[in-house]
Amino acid sequence: MSKTLLVTGASKGIGLETVRRFVAGDDPPAKAILVARPSAEYSEALKELASVSSSTEIVSYELDLADRDAVLDLVRTIASDHGNVDLLVNNAGYTKPVPIQQIDFADFERTMAVNVYAPFTFVQELLHQGNHFELIVNIASTAGINGRSGWLTYSASKAAVINMSEVMREELAIYGTRVVCISPGRTATALRRVLAPDEDPSTIMQPGDVATVIEMLASPVGRFVDSANLVVRQ
Amino acid sequence: MYSLLLLNGGIGARVAAGQPKQLIKVRGIPILVYSLVAADAVESIDQIVLNYPDGWHDTVRQIVSDYAIKTPVVYVPAGASRHDSVAAMLSSASNDHVVIHETARPLVRTGDFARLVADPNANVSFMLDIPFTVAPVDSEQKVVTGYLERSGLRNVQLPQKFAKADLEQAHGYAREQGRTFTEDATLVAVAGHTVHFIDGDDRNIKVTTPTDVRLATYLLTDHEEDWNE
Repeated sequence: MSKTLLVTGASKGIGLETVRRFVAGDDPPAKAILVARPSAEYSEALKELASVSSSTEIVSYELDLADRDAVLDLVRTIASDHGNVDLLVNNAGYTKPVPIQQIDFADFERTMAVNVYAPFTFVQELLHQGNHFELIVNIASTAGINGRSGWLTYSASKAAVINMSEVMREELAIYGTRVVCISPGRTATALRRVLAPDEDPSTIMQPGDVATVIEMLASPVGRFVDSANLVVRQ
Repeated sequence: MYSLLLLNGGIGARVAAGQPKQLIKVRGIPILVYSLVAADAVESIDQIVLNYPDGWHDTVRQIVSDYAIKTPVVYVPAGASRHDSVAAMLSSASNDHVVIHETARPLVRTGDFARLVADPNANVSFMLDIPFTVAPVDSEQKVVTGYLERSGLRNVQLPQKFAKADLEQAHGYAREQGRTFTEDATLVAVAGHTVHFIDGDDRNIKVTTPTDVRLATYLLTDHEEDWNE
């Protein structure tokens, strides 16, 4: 595969598992671009990928997706340094679940910035750079289908991702781009530990399971299941 | 290589008195985008000559920029008639061969342009069978004057392609004769050049009325088929 894969929130969880699966797959991308906030686990993940990857060039960037100007700069850098992004996985997510009375508006804005505006900006600015996507995967959540007490900011942001994906699917059909939206239910990620700190992560769906679904969606058979928000849950 | 002359009437009626006219949109996307994106993917088209209605230069230019059209675009003001517009755009074409299309046909596909330019003949138009009967009439007297064999008639579609020299000569001929033509395949033929046709597609409708917009929307939303192939 001479394709370029871009994954946000790639330092852990679903994002990292997605990179691992694509890199180890039968038809690995020529280049995998990882974007995440700096962290010790990100550094570890990059070391691990460098040690196992054979044919895929790993490129990494450190970025807080809430910083829109930095996102715009990064997208322009990616377009000029790496050419066309064929596969984009908008995975990075943020949440701070608190009841309505306790929501700090700045935190609501951060939730929307990371979960909605950042994936929008990646898509829009890459299009402005002349990028033609083959596939865009937006990671929403079952929390975006049904609101849940205590999760207002997260539920609202993920509902926006689901609807934004429908519009992208319609508008980007002129390029033959497939736009996929998946809504994982409970998945053993760092974000899930914030939402449900008392839950035993070994009892719920694993990030690798969701990554397997993303890999399936990227395969030729994916076009038969990509016409609507795809719920992935136990 | 080819220059695409893209006729861009593209402006609908006022939605209400006192309101400015609107760019026609299909599925929420300005109608000219469909043809621009389809043509942009054709390697043998390396220039687009796009005209714009009076007062719409900046809007049209912004759309081309927003959609990151890679093929160089030259902007030409629209003429008083379609005939005049083609004549004006022709002088900006840098290649010896031109393709003519109109943005009012948003269902054109990259493959249509590719099939047209691949045809070995120089002057070629997409055309369609006429599946109904047309009658010659005296429209003043409202009297039928005869019979037309429909197997000898075709519905003229776009896109078309021409040798630039033939098209220029034909427009010169029309000026000399004081005649105006509504499209160029018949003009070039009447001016004495051989114009071939290849079978078009009845999906490639011309969008002019609100009903056409709804039909195009339906056809473009049909997920059973990829309209950009």
